Amino acid sequence: MDRIGKVDNCSARSRGSTSNMKFLTTNFLKCSVKGCDNSNLNFPLHYVGANCQLEQDESIEFNPEFLLRIIDRLEWPAVVSVAADLGNNDLPPNKPEFDENLTEEDMVILRDLHTLLIQTNITEGQMQCKNCEHIYYIKNSIPNLLLPPHLA
Amino acid sequence: MLATPYVTCDYSKVYEPSEDSFLLLDALEADVSWLNNRFDGTAPLTVEIGSGSGIVSTFLMQNNIPNMNGIYLATDLNPWALEATLDTCSRNDCKTKRFDVLQTDLTSAIRKNEVDLLVFNPPYVPAESVPYVPVSKDAVHDDEWLFLALDGGDDGMVVTRRLLDTLDLILSENGVAYILFCARNNPETVSSHMKLRGWNSKLVEHRKAGWEVLSVYKFFRK
Repeated sequence: MDRIGKVDNCSARSRGSTSNMKFLTTNFLKCSVKGCDNSNLNFPLHYVGANCQLEQDESIEFNPEFLLRIIDRLEWPAVVSVAADLGNNDLPPNKPEFDENLTEEDMVILRDLHTLLIQTNITEGQMQCKNCEHIYYIKNSIPNLLLPPHLA
Repeated sequence: MLATPYVTCDYSKVYEPSEDSFLLLDALEADVSWLNNRFDGTAPLTVEIGSGSGIVSTFLMQNNIPNMNGIYLATDLNPWALEATLDTCSRNDCKTKRFDVLQTDLTSAIRKNEVDLLVFNPPYVPAESVPYVPVSKDAVHDDEWLFLALDGGDDGMVVTRRLLDTLDLILSENGVAYILFCARNNPETVSSHMKLRGWNSKLVEHRKAGWEVLSVYKFFRK
């Protein structure tokens, strides 16, 4: 398997800022429009890759125990689709599974997922609802999902 | 007693930590082992709504509440509050925590039934109405942003009620919400209504603070 944690257009540097929208967070964000809650297209949002700036932030250490627990609750198809939005097409279609005793190969996969989920940050970008097509912006690493008054 | 995070920000735009904030910290501290047991073996998602200065989220992260493997999101309508929250997080050495902020109304941008620990110190002051969200970050008057943190409309309950009415769609199966009330919100009545709607509702802490009587209730499924 290729290095699944790598996102191509990601600059390998950390600003050392606390303001970092992690890839992981994309697994929890949906469209704010109430009407879209009845659609299954409101999650995950579509990340407009060409307009997204990514950064690698290595301040959070690799923690296999945490990763096992978080992978357990992730919506895997959304991980795959957002990674593809951002230029990474190397993720396996099915959620990786791990036995109690982690092999060396497992550790490689977990490290890659750490790089992707925790260390890959979206600093600037656009997210679009696949149902209503409303565009939300990420500026200075803070996603803004407030709606204009006519949609709220 | 667990230490209180160090906070400094522009209090003309962001709510300054006060008795209500501290009561919320005390309530969460009192429930540390209860929360720890509840989320044992998981990576719980904590969401603080209206994080303001960030004191509560920072406190939770500093003390690994609910556990060592938590992830944290803080939301606010006020962009100045989100910056203050990140600043407080960084001043208290929480840079290495799995934490993000997002600008949104309550939890409307968070996938349903994912929140394990929800914490909310709402705008609870009875007022004629809930203020409009300023269109621009640089509002004409700085306190336009501040008033969003204070005025809670009728009975001071308009915003809290909006949250409680959708709690079933927000919390995970095991999820729990800690919410702060003042006496004028009639928390006992709110609590019994929630019980009638099938929730467990428990008073965690209460305190007289000046002329206000504040309380923190927790709500979770039966």
